[in-house]
Order: sequence, then C-alpha cells, then structure tokens
Amino acid sequence: LTPDMEPIPCKPLFFDLAMNYVELPSLEDKLEQEGKKGASITG
Amino acid sequence: MSKDATPKEALIKAAYADVHKFGNNREFDKAVKAVNRILGVAPDDPTALHCKVVCLLQLSKFEEAYKFIEKNRLSSLVFEKSYCEYRLNKQAQALKTIDDAAGAQPLPPNLKELRTQILYRLERYDECLDSYKDIIKNTSDEYEDERRTNLSAVAANLALDKNKDVPEVP
Repeated sequence: LTPDMEPIPCKPLFFDLAMNYVELPSLEDKLEQEGKKGASITG
Repeated sequence: MSKDATPKEALIKAAYADVHKFGNNREFDKAVKAVNRILGVAPDDPTALHCKVVCLLQLSKFEEAYKFIEKNRLSSLVFEKSYCEYRLNKQAQALKTIDDAAGAQPLPPNLKELRTQILYRLERYDECLDSYKDIIKNTSDEYEDERRTNLSAVAANLALDKNKDVPEVP
C-alpha cells in the first residue's frame, strides 16, 4: 500500500545580486597617470 | 609631493598598478598578494584595507574578511561588513549593520539590494516584496531578469501562507 502522491512546493530559485556590488574601490588617484608626469598628481 | 619620492611610495604605486590589473582580470588571489605588499609598508592605507576586504569576499573567504573588518575597525565598509554577515548566516546582525549605519537616509543601490535579500532570508516576505517592487521600478541594469526571478520567489513564499492572497507581481 503506497500513499497517494501529493505535490509539495520546491525551493524557489533566488539569485545573489548584491554580490555584483562587491567591487574594488576607484584606484584612479593611486595609479601613475600617463602624460601628466612632472605635474602634481596629488595636489 | 614629487612622484616616486621614496622607495616606499614607488612600491605602493607599483603594487596598486598590480591590484588594478589583477582586479580587472578577476584574479583576486593575485590581487590580494599585491594588496598585502601595500599593507606591509602602509598598514593603515584605507584604500588598501578596502581592497583587501573586496578581494577576500571575491575569494569567498567570508570569515576571514569579517575578522579583518573587525580587527581593523573598518566601520566605513558598511556594505562589505553586512555582506559578510549575510553570507555567514547572521541575518539579523546583517540587517542591523545596515540600519544602524543608514539612519533615516535613503539607501544607496548596493545596500538596498543587500537589505532586500536579507529580508528574504529572514522570511520577512511582505517587506521584501515591497522592497523588490521599489528596486525594479527604479533600476535599469543587466540583472533585471534575475531580480524578477527573486521577486517570484518572494511571491511563491507569500503564496504558501494561506492567510494571505497571492500577491500580484509586476
């Protein structure tokens, strides 16, 4: 004797979209700027 | 300040170039080594500290990232701290981290997205649904399909509650 089949809910798909915001900060002011050598790049 | 004034500055500049390059190539195992070179000579460099946390998160080293944030008291990295807590299954703390930092200010997109996912894990589906509707209305990016899938997951969970109507999803 087998019990009747009954539907159960499946676990819905759920994406981690916050991960897309895990990014390196801007390094612009840390990098050598071509064509600006000699000029003040910090001030 | 003139460029490359000291060996230390030259080292930092070269290491940042590597962080930038490896970051762009998504080689975060190499990027973190470059960051460590910076922190070796400039342990309080806030940009390098931020980079290290991001590299650890990208490498799925959530426990290590969390400890690093705590040890260095990186209170400005609200998103990264809360994201660690979210991935370490400390959902209530993750929510508190965001809400304590935000006050009455409207949340920037990264915190709003994360907070909505935390509400889902906390099974606060009503608030989660409202939050997703708001994000979807105000966002156009490349993840709209995935976000609608998440919205459907919220609706599916709400539909399991027999006391509630199945919500209409936009």
